[in-house]
Amino acid sequence: MSVDITMPQLSDTMTEGTLVKWLKKEGEQVKSGEKIAEVETDKAVMEMECFDAGVVAALVVPEGQKAAVGSLLAVIATGSENPAEVKQKALSRSQPPSAPASTKGTAAPRKPALAAAAAPAPSSPNFASASSGEIHEPDEIGHGATRQRQAAFPPLPHPDNGGRRLRVSPLARRIAARQNIDLSSLSGSGPGGRIVKEDLVNPAARSSPPAVMTPPPLPTAPPAPTAAPAFSAPPVQAGNGEQQVIPLTKMRSAIARSLLASKQNIPHYYETIDVDVEDLVNLRVKLNEMLEPEKIRLSIGDFISKAVASALLRNPAVNATFDGAQITRFGDVHLGMAVSIPDGLIVPVLRNVHLMGLKEIRQRSVDLVDRARAQRLKQDEMTGGTFTVSNLGTYGIREFAAIINPPQVGILAVGAAEKRPVVRGDQIVARTMISLTLSADHRVVDGATAAQFLRTLKTLLEQPGMMLA
Amino acid sequence: MPVIQFREALRDAMTEEMERDENVFLMGEEVAEYNGAYKVSEGMLEKFGPRRVFDTPISEAGFAGLGVGAACCGLRPIIEFMSWSFTLVCMDQLVNNAANVRYMSGGQFKIPVVFRGGNGIAHQLGATHSHRMEAVYARVPGLIVVSPSTPYDAKGLLKSSIRCDDPVIFLESEKMLADKGEVPAEEYLLPIGTANVEREGDQVTIISYGRPLQRVVRPAVEHLRTDHGIDVELIDVRTLRPLDVDTIADSVRKTNRCVIVDEDWGYCGMGSGILYKIQKRCFDDLDAPIEYVHSDEIPVPFSHPLEEAMIPSVDRIVSAVKEACYR
Repeated sequence: MSVDITMPQLSDTMTEGTLVKWLKKEGEQVKSGEKIAEVETDKAVMEMECFDAGVVAALVVPEGQKAAVGSLLAVIATGSENPAEVKQKALSRSQPPSAPASTKGTAAPRKPALAAAAAPAPSSPNFASASSGEIHEPDEIGHGATRQRQAAFPPLPHPDNGGRRLRVSPLARRIAARQNIDLSSLSGSGPGGRIVKEDLVNPAARSSPPAVMTPPPLPTAPPAPTAAPAFSAPPVQAGNGEQQVIPLTKMRSAIARSLLASKQNIPHYYETIDVDVEDLVNLRVKLNEMLEPEKIRLSIGDFISKAVASALLRNPAVNATFDGAQITRFGDVHLGMAVSIPDGLIVPVLRNVHLMGLKEIRQRSVDLVDRARAQRLKQDEMTGGTFTVSNLGTYGIREFAAIINPPQVGILAVGAAEKRPVVRGDQIVARTMISLTLSADHRVVDGATAAQFLRTLKTLLEQPGMMLA
Repeated sequence: MPVIQFREALRDAMTEEMERDENVFLMGEEVAEYNGAYKVSEGMLEKFGPRRVFDTPISEAGFAGLGVGAACCGLRPIIEFMSWSFTLVCMDQLVNNAANVRYMSGGQFKIPVVFRGGNGIAHQLGATHSHRMEAVYARVPGLIVVSPSTPYDAKGLLKSSIRCDDPVIFLESEKMLADKGEVPAEEYLLPIGTANVEREGDQVTIISYGRPLQRVVRPAVEHLRTDHGIDVELIDVRTLRPLDVDTIADSVRKTNRCVIVDEDWGYCGMGSGILYKIQKRCFDDLDAPIEYVHSDEIPVPFSHPLEEAMIPSVDRIVSAVKEACYR
């Protein structure tokens, strides 16, 4: 065996030393404890001891040369090996001592010769031998870094909405990794929504079952009828018997998680108001005639956006967000517009809509909706809304209740504008009506506040001129 | 099986070992003429004579050092402290000398000494006599720290400690000395460094030792079973250094939840050190953060109600267990 002799650190401040003189020549015998060289530190010339006995196989650093602490100075052949071969190897792995310290290979200081003689590491813990007087501590004690990397689990998914990290107990995370369960599709029952083992192993108890990312099961043959039915029911339109298991897309699972959280955490309540939009429809026709040359066609929805912005400024309690601890009210209106896209829903935000005229609202909405459907929205065009409008009027939906988009405190569901029989005076007349339903967070917005907002909105839409007031 | 007191179990262990090995002797304040401040060594002076059972002056630094020196010279001293709180004045002997001489002499000297006495809060002894010293010593490489919770464990572990070639910190409690339990008449040893799964369960692992285990953990475990339907696996670690992490980890891997109970202060307390080892080994097996029930971080009050309020109670343990179980 050969042993390296390296530059010892002979003082606290020493980083390199000068090999002043070799006291042994190559091929010479050296005893343990014998002086082998003189080394000059930043303070003094000191003699360097050799800790191993053997033959000096190689003197790597010539006299007068500087060498960094820990760098190779000489090699001792301690066994029966051929000193010439040892020297060959030593020279081939040693860097020229003058090479810059940053060179790979010299960067890591070699162990000093003393370390080679250190006792072997203790074996496995042996607590049972108390009667023999020996107690060994486990050798895992006390190290700063993880020595062995464990198999890594895939990183946790980060939901797109708001960038909040998914909370998963370490155990649940491991089970999910092993069973290939998409954690982002789950809602956690632990503190702060933490997904825990129970949410994975007992999904039947959960409101949303885990989406297992495995191929759909093969369709099985329907069970054979055991007995003739007592009477023959009319033939039912038979399906093809197939089932389709659809893994959740990232967007679908984000929607699932966030809407479930909204409905679970926010005490929703709903107020519906009917609005006579006959005058507004007429105004729209007139304005569209005048905007014809600019190829702009205002929709009812544009008027509603405009009116909502005005109504929110007059009812700031509804133009707010709530984080569970404090309410933030906004002096500007950034209006979220729910847009359906294939297998999903996206809510681009029309910023500062209260500053816009109808034309600008129209142009910017169209641009946002188009880019939303093309999924080409920027992150900041999907965040920062202060209130949201969802409009299903074009589908002929008369009225519906929408789910609040947290941390907002309200969402307006807009139904279809349609001719309805209404009582005016004591007459039943046909008027173009629209039903608006506000979903509000009762933690923040009380019923009367919501009603006041809706009444303002109704006034603005029934007498559109008031929007100018 | 004979039922004897904790103090009798300690006395039997010392007596048997002194009969077995003439190098074993007992030294401390009041151990001889007064038959022990807490009557642990009752009758031993009469039995072994004044050369092997002798009184010391009130000078912990002196007689702890004598113990280390005697151990260096081949004897096997048992040093009794009236309270582990008093070892604050002889810590140099325990930490610098007892723990390090074997290492610093390159193994030329063994230090087969046992330091034993009452540790922790023992009812209205006041702030300076109620220290829980386990974490102070359990963090020192070179020391063995043992903390029994039953007469059976006390005897088996003390006998092993006396035969151990390294210094053993043996932690008793004044409030446990009258506890009674079954102890076999025939000789037995309990291994140092092995925890005891005292009760098997599958919903949560509770880890404790010594006096808190005896005082509140066992009643809490029963309470959890009968009133909350929570099935606890109870581990008495018995030895605080070296800690039997294997047994603990096996249990936590089974239950996925863990609550540690001691009477130490929480910050840098005994449980904190245990907690680190569990989370390191069992991170991916944990379904909930590890809970740690410990004393409030204030000086130990003399007032009985305040002392009671400061230390872990059955209620505190129950609520920590429920927290760990998401209940």
